[in-house]
Amino acid sequence: MKKYYIIARNTWDEVFTYRASFVMWRVRNIIQLISIYFLWSVILPPGKTLLGYSQSLMLTYILGTSLLDSIVLSSRTYIVGEEINNGNLMNFLLRPINYFAYWFAKDAGDKLMNICFSAVELTLIFLVLRPPFFLQTNIFYIFFFICSVILSLFNYFFLNFLLGLIGFWSPEVWAPRFIFITVLGFFAGSLFPLDILPQAIYNIMKFLPFFYLLYFPLKVYLGQLSFLEITSGLLISSFWAFGIYFLVNIIWKKGLKSYTAYGR
Amino acid sequence: MIISVSHLSKHFQIHKKEPGLAGSVKSLFSRKYETKKAVDDISFEINEGELVGFIGPNGAGKTTTLKCLSGLLYPTSGKISVLDYNPYSRKPEFLKQISLVMGQKNQLWWDLPALDTFILNKEIYGVSDEKYNTILEELSKLLDAKDILKVPVKKLSLGQRMKMELMASLIHSPKVLFLDEPTIGLDVLMQRNLREFIKEYNIRFKATIILTSHYMQDVEQLCKRVIIINFGKIIFDGQLATLIEKYDPSKKIKVLFSEYVDPKKLDKLGEIDSFTYPELILNVPNKKANSTASAILKNFQVEDITISDPQIEDVIAKVYLENKK
Repeated sequence: MKKYYIIARNTWDEVFTYRASFVMWRVRNIIQLISIYFLWSVILPPGKTLLGYSQSLMLTYILGTSLLDSIVLSSRTYIVGEEINNGNLMNFLLRPINYFAYWFAKDAGDKLMNICFSAVELTLIFLVLRPPFFLQTNIFYIFFFICSVILSLFNYFFLNFLLGLIGFWSPEVWAPRFIFITVLGFFAGSLFPLDILPQAIYNIMKFLPFFYLLYFPLKVYLGQLSFLEITSGLLISSFWAFGIYFLVNIIWKKGLKSYTAYGR
Repeated sequence: MIISVSHLSKHFQIHKKEPGLAGSVKSLFSRKYETKKAVDDISFEINEGELVGFIGPNGAGKTTTLKCLSGLLYPTSGKISVLDYNPYSRKPEFLKQISLVMGQKNQLWWDLPALDTFILNKEIYGVSDEKYNTILEELSKLLDAKDILKVPVKKLSLGQRMKMELMASLIHSPKVLFLDEPTIGLDVLMQRNLREFIKEYNIRFKATIILTSHYMQDVEQLCKRVIIINFGKIIFDGQLATLIEKYDPSKKIKVLFSEYVDPKKLDKLGEIDSFTYPELILNVPNKKANSTASAILKNFQVEDITISDPQIEDVIAKVYLENKK
């Protein structure tokens, strides 16, 4: 187990080697949060509602998704495809280590760092701007929110890994990823709350894994879903997590067999 | 038997592309695939503690064989057993006993000091603290690398990095070591150090080592036994001395005359490689080398005479060429 701890620790160290880019990146995050905040405060003044969202709810939703985005949807597994192609994967196959667990540990280190720094930044924003955020106080919703975030984490990790595995068959791993990112932005609800879409589309989206990455956890947090909706959502989400996990496993095994270790 | 390979073959599908844009577009729609027999029905066995040189021209199938042996490639056909394991299953117990070092690959964390990779490998391989400290101490002494352990890998020179790669691959003191061109791109001094180190490691840890290299010095100084492979087939497997015996059973006699000699008189001595007064170079069969030399000394005024074995490079080149025909 200790090996995975060291992988996570090394990942921290790695990030800190590039101090300037690390600081810049954090600054970018803060600017992004602030600009979204101001944009929506203008679009939706206090007291008004837009598509059923009050200012406080909308701000919480938009800022919440961008926060979740930086934590849940930050995964370094995009490198998997490159490692397959440049032959680096061999270094892992030669050592008694689980490649999935390796990446999970690396991601865990990364995410932990994001959470720590985001917490500090958010506190600062809170103190300075005093935004009208919606704070959930119901333990029930918070508990299910955390459950849904954990599921979303696994879902995204495996989805991303799956994309990386394209590298086994084609060196062109970036084109599919760009499509994925674009689709994700829309279907996961990081641009707007999905329930402002027509009911028919919304109903279809409910059955896609993207729905459960950002939108669903946020809705749970806001307390806008019934108990039935929450449980069925968690069920579908775990169904996807397991489904994609099995798919990744099968494809990984198939890929390894045909892995001819090109690259050199 | 530590390693046994029987009738191993590995074929690859490679696609060919015409040069230029037109070729690229064409290859989008129809790709021509060709089967390349990288390794074609080879068999050999290696005993514990042997240090075997695995040589052949570029693209002969050396690396492919090593990859099959370490479980990276799934053989097209044939059987491999390394330490009684089937390498391709890549069982942790198997992986803990082997190591593959490739001169052109790196497993070190680029931005971090090599020590961080070592510590990670220590955990991955489950090496105890005590054992880790001893081996780290020993390796860094052997490689003279104490000062660079804490320097970020990206700041190291090629030679220093190679040392670190080697150390990272040896933290778990593997019983079987595959070295794929470990001396590539290193200067003469570093090459020598590394050779010393490999020799030392072989003896001290009773490790079985397969080494590939294009530097014949490596092979000559390290390996008693060589396996030569070309076009995926083994063309020689045996003692280095036997190889020389078989392919070039002659010695070179170099004579420096102190006074003019009639070239006609020289014909009787043997096969003349070159003669430009005052230097004569003769190719003589091994057995006749001594008698020829004494005949020269007796019949001519000689300033200097040397008898030398054929250069290993020449022998190998001869083997490669002969196989091409």
